[in-house]
Amino acid sequence: MTGGRPGARAELMLSLGVLALGAFAAVIAFGLPDAAGYARVGPNFMPKFVAGGLVVCGLWLLAEVFTGGWREAVPENPEERSDHAPYPRAFGWVSAGLFSQMALIHSAGFVLAAGALFACVARGFGSTRPLRDVAGGLFLGLGVFAFFVKFLNVNLPAGWLQPLLGAAGI
Amino acid sequence: MTETLQSLLGGFGVALEPMNLLWGFVGVTLGTAIGVLPGVGPALTVAMLLPLTVKLEPTGALIMFAGIYYGAMYGGSTTTILLNTPGESASIATALEGNKMAKRGRAGPALATSAIGSFVAGTIAVFLLTMLAPMVVEVALKFGPTEYFALMVFAFVTVAAVLGSSMVRGLSMLFVGLLLGLVGIDDQTGQMRFAFGVPELMDGIDVVVLAVGLFAVGEGLYVATYQSRQAEQLERMSGSLWMSKEDWRRSWPAWLRATAIGFPFGTIPAGGAEIPTFLSYALEKKLSKYPEEFGHGAIEGVAGPEAANNAASAGVLVPLLTLGIPTSATAAILLAAFQNYGIQPGPLLFQSQSALVWGLIASMYIGNVLLLVLNLPLIGLWVKVLMIPRPVLYGGILVFATLGAYSLHQSVVDLVTLYVFGLLGFTMRRRGFPLAPAVIGLILGPLAESQFRRALAISQGDPSVFFTHPISAGLLTLTALLLLIPWLVRVVRE
Repeated sequence: MTGGRPGARAELMLSLGVLALGAFAAVIAFGLPDAAGYARVGPNFMPKFVAGGLVVCGLWLLAEVFTGGWREAVPENPEERSDHAPYPRAFGWVSAGLFSQMALIHSAGFVLAAGALFACVARGFGSTRPLRDVAGGLFLGLGVFAFFVKFLNVNLPAGWLQPLLGAAGI
Repeated sequence: MTETLQSLLGGFGVALEPMNLLWGFVGVTLGTAIGVLPGVGPALTVAMLLPLTVKLEPTGALIMFAGIYYGAMYGGSTTTILLNTPGESASIATALEGNKMAKRGRAGPALATSAIGSFVAGTIAVFLLTMLAPMVVEVALKFGPTEYFALMVFAFVTVAAVLGSSMVRGLSMLFVGLLLGLVGIDDQTGQMRFAFGVPELMDGIDVVVLAVGLFAVGEGLYVATYQSRQAEQLERMSGSLWMSKEDWRRSWPAWLRATAIGFPFGTIPAGGAEIPTFLSYALEKKLSKYPEEFGHGAIEGVAGPEAANNAASAGVLVPLLTLGIPTSATAAILLAAFQNYGIQPGPLLFQSQSALVWGLIASMYIGNVLLLVLNLPLIGLWVKVLMIPRPVLYGGILVFATLGAYSLHQSVVDLVTLYVFGLLGFTMRRRGFPLAPAVIGLILGPLAESQFRRALAISQGDPSVFFTHPISAGLLTLTALLLLIPWLVRVVRE
């Protein structure tokens, strides 16, 4: 069995994940109509094939978990991969940056969302100068905004800064 | 032969038009910059810039994308030599000797041999591409859907199963990519597949979202979690940029040998530049009169892999342009750039879009010269780029990455999908799943499906066509052998 091998649980979960994805794809693939025509192969053939492939890969991965673990697995010890010990807070900051951008982009606008994203990511990478990061992010966002709107005619949401950006002619 | 030269001359006419020259310059400069920046590769950069295809005319845009592609190979060596952090996997072999040379105060000659070697190999490889492409086109014109399908299956299996450390993990990622490629409307019947009524999914999953998610968000999350608290040591630019007579004598045979290894490897679906760089390194180590220097900064160990890297990346363009088959993640995204313009690379491209394709090839001769100038006299500038603090660098990367995905449909749904792919990329990197098969599966999957169904429509649903056409039968047999041999070897051994 998997024993207490480090990483075994992650491998088990991922193997089951691939298997589940295959099963899920299969359920949908078998619900698709045939509509085969001359080729005698319709829009449901490839989905069934891919679902089958995922199920086989999932089972194969699962078999490896129970026979000594994934072959050629990435070392569990971070030092062996020239990494340091995981720093979950950094992961959290980068994610928070992306979430705040999703939340802000349509209300506060692209520039402010870019400022928030930039500052959070920089914080995640160990920056200790939040003011510089917010300013840097706003500056970058403003530059990108002006370039897209002025030169590429791609609309980005101006949001709360609408009056300000409008007054600046952007 | 004369016909080829005539086409090439016409191509130079296109590439030397001021606007195209400008796009080429923008491309190689950007390419060098992103090659230098750790954490940004050519696949990611081209993906982030793909939305621009809506605004630019095709020739200029494709010249720029190609410039980014091979410019990144030049820039990557700078980072590798001075920082010992290979910017891309194809630079790992260079890191073995290049960083050691920099530590011994010979950064100058190391940078010079890699820039000049890249130029020599790049130019020879583009020349080989010029000569070889029309010949492949000749053959490919005879291909029907059956042959194309077999060729795509072969490419899928080599990229996913044969390369990389684990066959099953490569295949898993390939199937994930193929599944993502199925999302949206089926072109042949109009059937909606895997869209769950979400309007953003009905057009299919854009390669920009997948590539940026895996390579920028996933990479950002990974580096933040596992590498952001590491101190990095940037070697000083030391030693004259000039190579001594001795350096030249030891470098040039390595450049030529590496070109001979790199180019053919690039043309077959063997995952681009990674394998030939290691082969070249091993060969140079074997042939060198100074084997004791290897591991302590032998110049051949920099000259060879760097030249192989560049020759292979030009080789990758042979199957991409003549057959429409991408064999690396970057090539897959370049294919998507063509598709955005409604252009399908393949043998017909050389007839229907002759000015574009020859302009593109000619631009690479010019680009290599520009890159030599950018990377030798201006090297000091790129060293400054390396000094950008990591927090600022990754903040910027993620602003641009999310911008690329958001500007597709101005939709928050794309940002959510991007984060989901980021989580996938993080997990895949941590657990050793290769990312390229997913990108190639997404781009090439729908093409393979339509060739498959077309082949069967012609044969009235008789699947034996794949085994009665000799080319397709040969390719499928080869594919089956590639899948079975490792397993057979194991069974026989036990």
